[in-house]
Amino acid sequence: MITVLLIIHALLAVALLGAVTHQAVSVWLPARKPVGSFVGRFRSVSGASYVNAIIVLYLCQSVLGGVLIYPEFRVSVRPVLEQLGLWAPLGIFDLKEHFTVIGMATLPAYWYFWRQPLAEQHAHTRAALTALLAFIVWWNFLVGHILNNIRGFGS
Amino acid sequence: MTVPRSFSVFAIVFAVAYAVVYVIAVWKNYALFTYHPATNEFALGIEKGKDGVAAMYWYGWIATSTIAASVAGLVACYLPQRLTQGLWSGWSWVAPLCAIPVFCYLLKGYFLR
Repeated sequence: MITVLLIIHALLAVALLGAVTHQAVSVWLPARKPVGSFVGRFRSVSGASYVNAIIVLYLCQSVLGGVLIYPEFRVSVRPVLEQLGLWAPLGIFDLKEHFTVIGMATLPAYWYFWRQPLAEQHAHTRAALTALLAFIVWWNFLVGHILNNIRGFGS
Repeated sequence: MTVPRSFSVFAIVFAVAYAVVYVIAVWKNYALFTYHPATNEFALGIEKGKDGVAAMYWYGWIATSTIAASVAGLVACYLPQRLTQGLWSGWSWVAPLCAIPVFCYLLKGYFLR
């Protein structure tokens, strides 16, 4: 069952990573004119259209990873990593759990400042909140991947 | 959807209070409750681990922070508008951003062994 949940967790993570990366690039590196290239189209997406999907995916990931999978990690995986002396992976995983909560704290503001019509005076706040969430999602994705490589999928 | 103007005040204060309270909760271990993953039990306040498995305080820290930040946000909504109208929206990301290096410092023991 945990393996199935881990796979769902990974698939949702990919969706969240794609959405928040699209939004972050559209905010920080917007296309100034219509471009036909892959990168140009990537930069010219409408960032606002990703907001609800990002919030829903973030909350689903927090519940799935934090409530359904994390207790199993504490019982079956963490003690083994401690016995093996893998302190750095444990440290980056603890940072992952704290960063996740910090990201959740910003969600009401993130939703509010991305509401349509977009208020020009909050453009910097929107960009900063998006960058912060993108950093957290990327960190969580990579750390989850590393931990799973060390001891995951029924090992 | 119409959102009351005071929601921006709530959202900013919530983000700031959440980040600050969560850092303090983790640092001082102010968990509202403890979860024992080995036995699937909850206990109010702080308890030590059972059956050789460490207790989980993470849910308790989240509960502490959520309640405190929600109360702070709601109280801020009812403050006179002259006190909140100048509230800088950037606090909603500055405070959470500042929490990140604090956690790196709090967990430095993992990386300096």
